[in-house]
Amino acid sequence: MHRADYVIKRLAFAIMTVFVAITVNFVLFHALPGNAVSGFIRAPHVSPSLRAALTHEFGLDRSLWQQYALYLRELVFHANLGVSFTDSQPVTSTLADKLQNTIPMVFVGTSLAILVGIVTGFLSAWRRSGVVDRVSTSSAIVFYALPTQFIGMVLILLFAKYLPTAGMRNEINNYFSSGSTWSNVKDIGLHMALPAATLALTLFGEYTLVVRSSMLETLGEDYVLTARAKGLPQRRIVIAHALRNAMLPIATLVALSLGFIVAGAILVEIVFSWPGIGQLVYSAVSNRDYPMLQGAFLILTLSVVFFNFIADLLYFKLDPRIAV
Amino acid sequence: MKSVEPALAEGTALVARPSSGGNEIVRVLKERRSALAGLVIVGFFVAMAVFGPALAPYSWTQQSGPVYAPPSSEHWLGTDDSGVDVLSEMLYGGRTSLIVGFAAAFVAMIVGGGIGVVAGYAGGGTDNALMRTTDYFLVIPDLVLMIVVATVFGPSLSHVILVIGLLLWTSTARIVRSQVKSIRERVYVRRARSLGASHRRIVAQHILPQVAPLLIATTVLTIAYAIFDESALAFLGVGVPGVSWGTMLERAFERTAMTQGAWWAFVPPGLAIGLVVIGCYLMGQAIEDALNPRLRVAHLSIKSWRFRTTPNVAEGDAS
Amino acid sequence: MQRSMKLAASIAALALVATACTGGGGDSSTNPSNDSVKTGGHLILGTLSNIDTLNPFVTFQQNSYSAFEYIYPQLVQYDTKTLEFISDFAQKWEQSADGLTWTFHTTPNATWSDEQPLTANDAAFTFNTILKYGDGPAANLSGGLSHVTKVEAPDDNTLVVTYSAPVANVLSNLQQISILPQHVWEQYAVGDGKALRQFPNEPTDQPLVSGGPFELAKYEKDQVAIFQRNPNYYGTEASIEGFGLQYFSNDDSLVAALRNGQIQAAINVPVTAVASLKGDASLTVYDGPGITLRDFIINSSPEKTTNLELQDPKVRMAMEYAIDRDTIVKTAWLGYAEPGSTIVAPGTGDWHDSQIQGLPYDIDSANTLLDQAGYAPGPDGIRIANGHPMSYTVLFASDETGAGDAAFRIIQNGFQQIGIEVTQRKMDNDAVNTAILGTDNTYDQFDMAMWDWFPLIDPDFILSVLTKAQWGGWSDTGFDNATYDKLYEAQGLAIEPSKRQQIVHQMQQIAFDERPYIILNYNQVIDAWSNDWAGFDDSESVLGLFNNLSKAPFTEVHQA
Repeated sequence: MHRADYVIKRLAFAIMTVFVAITVNFVLFHALPGNAVSGFIRAPHVSPSLRAALTHEFGLDRSLWQQYALYLRELVFHANLGVSFTDSQPVTSTLADKLQNTIPMVFVGTSLAILVGIVTGFLSAWRRSGVVDRVSTSSAIVFYALPTQFIGMVLILLFAKYLPTAGMRNEINNYFSSGSTWSNVKDIGLHMALPAATLALTLFGEYTLVVRSSMLETLGEDYVLTARAKGLPQRRIVIAHALRNAMLPIATLVALSLGFIVAGAILVEIVFSWPGIGQLVYSAVSNRDYPMLQGAFLILTLSVVFFNFIADLLYFKLDPRIAV
Repeated sequence: MKSVEPALAEGTALVARPSSGGNEIVRVLKERRSALAGLVIVGFFVAMAVFGPALAPYSWTQQSGPVYAPPSSEHWLGTDDSGVDVLSEMLYGGRTSLIVGFAAAFVAMIVGGGIGVVAGYAGGGTDNALMRTTDYFLVIPDLVLMIVVATVFGPSLSHVILVIGLLLWTSTARIVRSQVKSIRERVYVRRARSLGASHRRIVAQHILPQVAPLLIATTVLTIAYAIFDESALAFLGVGVPGVSWGTMLERAFERTAMTQGAWWAFVPPGLAIGLVVIGCYLMGQAIEDALNPRLRVAHLSIKSWRFRTTPNVAEGDAS
Repeated sequence: MQRSMKLAASIAALALVATACTGGGGDSSTNPSNDSVKTGGHLILGTLSNIDTLNPFVTFQQNSYSAFEYIYPQLVQYDTKTLEFISDFAQKWEQSADGLTWTFHTTPNATWSDEQPLTANDAAFTFNTILKYGDGPAANLSGGLSHVTKVEAPDDNTLVVTYSAPVANVLSNLQQISILPQHVWEQYAVGDGKALRQFPNEPTDQPLVSGGPFELAKYEKDQVAIFQRNPNYYGTEASIEGFGLQYFSNDDSLVAALRNGQIQAAINVPVTAVASLKGDASLTVYDGPGITLRDFIINSSPEKTTNLELQDPKVRMAMEYAIDRDTIVKTAWLGYAEPGSTIVAPGTGDWHDSQIQGLPYDIDSANTLLDQAGYAPGPDGIRIANGHPMSYTVLFASDETGAGDAAFRIIQNGFQQIGIEVTQRKMDNDAVNTAILGTDNTYDQFDMAMWDWFPLIDPDFILSVLTKAQWGGWSDTGFDNATYDKLYEAQGLAIEPSKRQQIVHQMQQIAFDERPYIILNYNQVIDAWSNDWAGFDDSESVLGLFNNLSKAPFTEVHQA
């Protein structure tokens, strides 16, 4: 199949999934029980006229089709996801703010996980069935199996005296003592240490096992044997061929994971009071803040679709077996 | 992607003929130590779930000691935030967690297996439609959806089981589908069809038995994810009512166990969940290995429960 | 974790009441002279309850109101020790002989933090905006101005509020309303007033225009709010340079942060942490009476058609006998609570009827009552009533998670001993509310529930929740008692304090006898702060350190 064909096919698929996601998103949040307006107005003695006004403002007096059309129009042409029920502020700006907080933490955690995964996976494959292999594979499996929130809780138990366990930074101190940029960065770094470590511990096991198995496979492949037969030094063989081939599954896995890690960071953010999108979802659910939930859900779904698409492209680009 | 599929079909053809599916599993379990370890672990916890509550030294709801008392000869695992014996809670809670895990995995197995068989067997338009649906489920941030649904419909045992099960079926469906597809092309199936056997008969007699071991392997892994998800839901306040390992973690978190140093209130349930997941994982991987060594490699990655299973580009979903 | 929305919303639901008004004039601020104390420095206060929005027309959270206390003027404030009214923006006030007209004399030559004049006109603007849009965008705040017909500022330093009836608790109502800067808000008080709710009211690169002892310098939703000393404040300037409010989403991180010095004070400290905090020599832990109450609700709606045995007074009495309040206090609250009795907490002072005692834990009496009522136990020990087992679901609001779970288990065990089976159904607050309201707000469905109240000091609010008028509003019981409702009206117009008190006590007796609520306990206020800071002790109150009763706590605190 031609490369261009493939890309277009995957793109079309991605776009269609996006459309389905948007529609299902709408249906889901509008089919939920509980009238959005009644949940939102909690003061007593709210006159029928206020209820009517707000119902009209949120478009809830129109038919479901009309609401859907309105939703689509606002979304596609104005990137407008509505306003939050709790503070009447635009959903998009709150989402953007929170994403800005989540992404660095997730990035650091994931990078750590990948690094550890590559190193341990490599060592495992290199010294197959040795002590190193057993230890690293076992610890990979163990950490992979432990619940994320549990890992976070244990880290808090161990390190609460030495590291901050909540929040993203000590903004208040920074405000009154006008810290330098460096001290601000250091502050955020310290706060990020435990949550990112939790995320890294949760994720790395997967990468270790993937790297290991992929490297083992490559090491058994013909062209590696050939290279060995030619007498090239072992190390060079491995690095040149095996590692590069292992990049394919890793890259794919990472791209695929990234879409979900943002969603999966909910547990970490709650354990560490990290003010990101995970925590936003959590409080939006308890507040029945439907527009916010709808917006967050959509963003998360879109990110997954996007990264899946990237993964598809990567796979296509890197897999030598796919003939043209 | 079509170029990869033949490799897969070729790989499956390498496995010995139908009847040894079950025997393969037994052989693997006997030979590989890790598989045996997995079986032992899971077996232990199942036994604990069945017999545990009867052996519990104290009530798992009533106070039997001081609040957050450390482990002692009276309370081997100490007491929790309400003075309830942690060991008793672990024994009873394990039953709840395992019930949720097994039941949800069962739901996933039925739904996933069903969809996989239909898609693989029917092919064509049905297959496409079903796979599109599967793909959509793959991209849903499952934890978010679970929270929403559980919050809105209320946390009850059945709701939690359904919610988890209905989001975990996708990987099963995919694997079953590709397996069914390759089986369908085999000679004996073709022959049966030309002899006029009904579809139902073919499915029941030829396809299901072949698929069953793989389905079991996948379901065993799904159990692990389900237990994990249960603990996540409990942590977010929308878990099952009553005592489970997940709710024990949640309560320890709520009631400041960490700063109190009351590690016994959350380390046992956390480790228990980890152990069960490891046990299921070892068993499931071993079964998968036994049946289809090529399959494992082609997967490219371990299924990530908390993040949706990789769509397995290798399995020809680009069509 | 979120605090009950009922807390802040209770402010919005005020109606006719009487109050212990201080009549002719207010005392000047009881703040001691700040000459000898160290000035400067800043401190961080940790809380588990977030600010949802800084827009007074939209907010529901208590901490928002407490923030407003420090950044906006109110006419009067409470003295934290005597709970009497003292001056804030209004230095003196009088009411007319017929009680219909109140005149307030506001502080002259005051300015906002941006140096614009702060006068009675701002107060008039705020009140009139609330009146104008009371049916719509300002619905949350309109309760505080019920029965107000006219608000005028004849000159810059005089505010005249006219009522249609002699309202008894004028000061406690008006105390709740923050005066907003007219020059900032008048552009939004136009047309249908929708813009009032949409204005975020947050600091940008400039601090928010403020009129209180602090200006709001920085705000990040669900994270921090930073308050900086306002040099233009009309009252006694604060000693500290500023303070920050930091939000923690879980108990453990709040306690950890206090212990490792990341924050210097914490409010509503969880009971599980108190023992270890008390053991820390660098911290002071305050533990005093509060007015928060936890309740067990029994559906009292006449529209209910099922499980009518629950309406039987004997059954309710038996249930109260089977609730071991002492164990709840000891185990769920680790001793940091008082066993419950009436719906008006002892912390409110004389409003509480101390003659009413909760029934003791007495399984035998309970069983006798149920036997007498004819509900014999079935084969599994659960009593049969009206042909079905006495087995019920208790709706459990997510607010109550934690200690409430422990309390529920204790109740469940007690009920089991008298042959009643209850199961817990956990739902989030909105869902519980919906379930309680039932079909068309008739309260015809649920059996029992567990929740809480964070009432005001003035008893009017907590008494109102049991009135028929509050069906569909604050009522979570479906209680409907004509005598009670009449008394409620009467206490709202009883200007004479002792007369009002009498009526309030009568109402408590009715509520106690009818048992729509079994009050489980009243929670203590527990706050903690670092010994590096002094002055909090004097300003502690039944509502804790950071409250919307008084500006004293953070204006008086200083470095030790």
